[in-house]
Amino acid sequence: MASLVPCPHCGQRPKEEFTIKGAALARPAADADAVDWFDYVYLRDNPRGAYEEYWHHTSGCRRWIVVTRDTVTHEVAASRDAADRARSEART
Amino acid sequence: MSEFRPTLRPALATKQAVASAALKLSPLPEGTIVHVLARPGEQDVVSFLGSLAKPAAHAVRPVSPGQWFIVHEEPMPHKEMKSLFAALEPRATGVDQSHGRVRIRIEGKMASRALSKGTAVDLDPSAFPVGQSAVTLIGHIAAHVTRVGPEAFEIIVLRGFAESLWDDLARMSLEFT
Repeated sequence: MASLVPCPHCGQRPKEEFTIKGAALARPAADADAVDWFDYVYLRDNPRGAYEEYWHHTSGCRRWIVVTRDTVTHEVAASRDAADRARSEART
Repeated sequence: MSEFRPTLRPALATKQAVASAALKLSPLPEGTIVHVLARPGEQDVVSFLGSLAKPAAHAVRPVSPGQWFIVHEEPMPHKEMKSLFAALEPRATGVDQSHGRVRIRIEGKMASRALSKGTAVDLDPSAFPVGQSAVTLIGHIAAHVTRVGPEAFEIIVLRGFAESLWDDLARMSLEFT
């Protein structure tokens, strides 16, 4: 159990309890251009450094969380509930 | 019509008891487990559940944000269950999990040592006091762990995994028995 992921509800947990979905991207509007949707669904950057990802705490609280992680050092800068993130973004 | 008839028996009825001075593993009676799911945005659900559970001496265990288990040793009559579900609405919804999940008790001086072999949750009394609950993996099985006493834990696990988890716990306890 090497890498620990901080869950905003459960605290530090090993990565085995989680499922990773991938980059947390902003979803295009429903009527957006096909090109934007193609980007959103298929195209991914592979950044070296800071990265926002969706993680699902499958064997814990079963909440989706957004983890801000460094892909080089696995240093986790922040982790919050995906619902809270969506709400705070809707406000801005 | 098929000749096959399912036999109703407790999930862990055939398991051999694990008991010693330092550690005891025992299946708890298959009474009542109600999974409560609150509607998004509901506040103060804990005190609301407490007021519902208190007169009947049911225990309320937190599961995850907006979710709880209501636990009782005795099976709840159908009528009582229906009125509990009605009382929960519209703030929350109840789901009967009495036959879906099984409770296991592990107690004794070495209980936390044995459990720590399977889970990454910090079980030290300062970090995990009496009454605290956590959903975590024990080995490869997802389970709900509650400290019910200074040296006692209650584990709630899906019925289909109960025998497997029991065998794992028994093996983890071997050196203490």
